[in-house]
Amino acid sequence: MTENKKKILEMLAQNKISTDDAYRLLSVIESGESGQESASKADANVRGKAKYLRVTVLPEAENEHSGNVDRVNVRVPMSLIRAGIKLTSLIPPEARDKVNGALREKGIDFDVRNVKPEDIEELIEALSDLEVDVVSSKGEKVKVFVE
Amino acid sequence: MKRPPMLMRLKIQGEKKGFGLWLPLFLLLPLALIVFIILSPLILIAVLVLWPSGWGKRALLILRVAFEICCSMRGLRVDVQSGQQCVYISVV
Repeated sequence: MTENKKKILEMLAQNKISTDDAYRLLSVIESGESGQESASKADANVRGKAKYLRVTVLPEAENEHSGNVDRVNVRVPMSLIRAGIKLTSLIPPEARDKVNGALREKGIDFDVRNVKPEDIEELIEALSDLEVDVVSSKGEKVKVFVE
Repeated sequence: MKRPPMLMRLKIQGEKKGFGLWLPLFLLLPLALIVFIILSPLILIAVLVLWPSGWGKRALLILRVAFEICCSMRGLRVDVQSGQQCVYISVV
């Protein structure tokens, strides 16, 4: 129970407000709470409907207009990532062992067999919270985000 | 069901030369479908022969996922520029 609801009930107990007033005030508070809930649900939906993974590398603002700059702007549809992850389930066992071995050599202890179709949605959902923002010593801005 | 991409724009710019290309995928897709229909008896035989080893099922799934990947490419954009060189790929 929120603080406001307690106060209303106390005022009702002290006969400072009528039952009708208390009812009206309580319904106003409840509608406000449900409004907040629906707003947070809508926010989650917007994040859930992330369509693209973006990777951008922008040069330093001073060098931006000079011709000799490196610039990257990549937009990958989430559906492509989803389909790509599905491909891992089709990797033949022999190749899978090789992939796992290569990953282990690079210090990544990960088994591609563990990627299951039901985990894909969870992974995509987790990606929607991803945001990487790095500024290099040369002043280049690297951004990885979902939109 | 997602629609397959309609157009692909490809632009490669070297230090001296470069070229740009608009690929009308909507024209290539019917051709790909015709090729697939012509080859389908061979694909079917290959799948049936490979079925006991488990590769037949995998081959069918690969075909499905390949089509899914093709359809998911709509919206892909790669724009990389390094000095005077530039690669631009856009699928719409």
